[in-house]
Amino acid sequence: MTINTTKNGTELCLAPEGRLDTVTAPELEQAINENLEGVTELTLDFAGLDYISSAGLRVLLSAQKKMNAAGKMTVRNVNETISEIFEVTGFCDILTIE
Amino acid sequence: MTEIKHTLEGGALTILPEGHIDSANAAEAEEAITALRERYSPESVTIDCEKLTYISSAGLRVILRLKKAIPDTKLVNVSAEVYEIFEMTGFTEMMEIRKAYRVISVEGCEVIGQGANGKVYRIDPDTIVKVYLNPDALPEIHRERELARAAFVLGVPTAIPYDVVRIEGGGYGSVFELLNASSFAKLLIRGEKTVDEIAEMSISLLKLIHSTVVKPDTMPDMRAVALDWARFLEKYLPADQYAKLYSLIAAVPEDDHMMHGDYHLKNVMLQNGESLLIDMDTLCHGHPIFELASMYNAYVGYAELNHGQVMDFLGISYETAGELWRKSLSLYLGTGDEARIAEVEKKAMIVGYTRIMRRTIRRNGLNTEEGRAIIENCRRHFNELLPQIDALTF
Repeated sequence: MTINTTKNGTELCLAPEGRLDTVTAPELEQAINENLEGVTELTLDFAGLDYISSAGLRVLLSAQKKMNAAGKMTVRNVNETISEIFEVTGFCDILTIE
Repeated sequence: MTEIKHTLEGGALTILPEGHIDSANAAEAEEAITALRERYSPESVTIDCEKLTYISSAGLRVILRLKKAIPDTKLVNVSAEVYEIFEMTGFTEMMEIRKAYRVISVEGCEVIGQGANGKVYRIDPDTIVKVYLNPDALPEIHRERELARAAFVLGVPTAIPYDVVRIEGGGYGSVFELLNASSFAKLLIRGEKTVDEIAEMSISLLKLIHSTVVKPDTMPDMRAVALDWARFLEKYLPADQYAKLYSLIAAVPEDDHMMHGDYHLKNVMLQNGESLLIDMDTLCHGHPIFELASMYNAYVGYAELNHGQVMDFLGISYETAGELWRKSLSLYLGTGDEARIAEVEKKAMIVGYTRIMRRTIRRNGLNTEEGRAIIENCRRHFNELLPQIDALTF
């Protein structure tokens, strides 16, 4: 999967494209872990993301836990399908979605 | 005055408004509702909104006053459009308002599983629906979904629980993410994994579950359940044995860590190297001795007198199941020390046989030869184990 990564001092933005599923979720997890050192503001830009599976949601959950301790995490540009998944799973109460 | 459609069951009044409720007819609707309240003095009111197409602020005020007069007032079967009005005005945070179920058809869908309660269909490449044939299963469907949802947001790896739906032609279903996975039972039967590998993977997931803290009121307390099992046996055990059994369980400290409650080979799946938990209807919280007891039963206890049972249930031999149990216990305790393993096994057996004896008696076991043999076996274990054990914790 393509993940556009922009790091600007303590700000990290990751924009994964396509489907975040059991195959691609480990790639996003790796991209987060490799770049998270010293980051206080993590943004996940989902403009290019079509679908998220439970494996993808677990990556978000673990990133959110890390950022609770280190600063803040924001998810933005969420499409309707994914927004519905956030809602039915209760993730909309855990994540900051813009 | 026009009468409003309604039904009454016990003290529960259900009102079925139709069409629009707006400034033109809100007063009339309120008068009709008040008349029903006076006639029946209901304890609870359910407004079934299946045929309600619009509600204005005047209508909302009618509901607000009704809710004040009868606090147990809720709205069900609300269409997406009307739900939006309740949501925007904050009503959804103030009272119970349930959306109408989405209706789906499973005609022509691939059946990918079949259980005692119904069938599992694949409805698109990413989702399945578990259809329950019994229409009364609705509360159970909701209960399981809520438990799965609570576990999911706590990070327990499982399929995404989506919504509850109505099935065209009858029944209800629960929609889940489709897992592209094989159960641990299948992996073991097909020889793709060894007993050691399965034990390791299943214990590492179990430890994750047991390290997850839950809000106690979101899941049942396993100790309370086990105390109920023990209480049931009061009539069937000698007084001193019963007293010992009850006090052993009562002395297990409260524990707010999650347990699966029915943890065995068929309820864990492997997808892309990751272990996932399924069948969340038994989730609860409590001390791990209760989980170990349920595992002991699944692998050893239930099949102790009839070894073929474990083959029917899990597809593996009684010997393999026993080996799996001992390896799992050793890994869970993080020791190869036989004496230590045997000690914890005895504690698990006490809880396990409490459950088996109750279950057998409740299933008319006292009146069948097979049942009496199982009950006798439980007594034999209690005779042997109870004097040896002074606490169930480890």
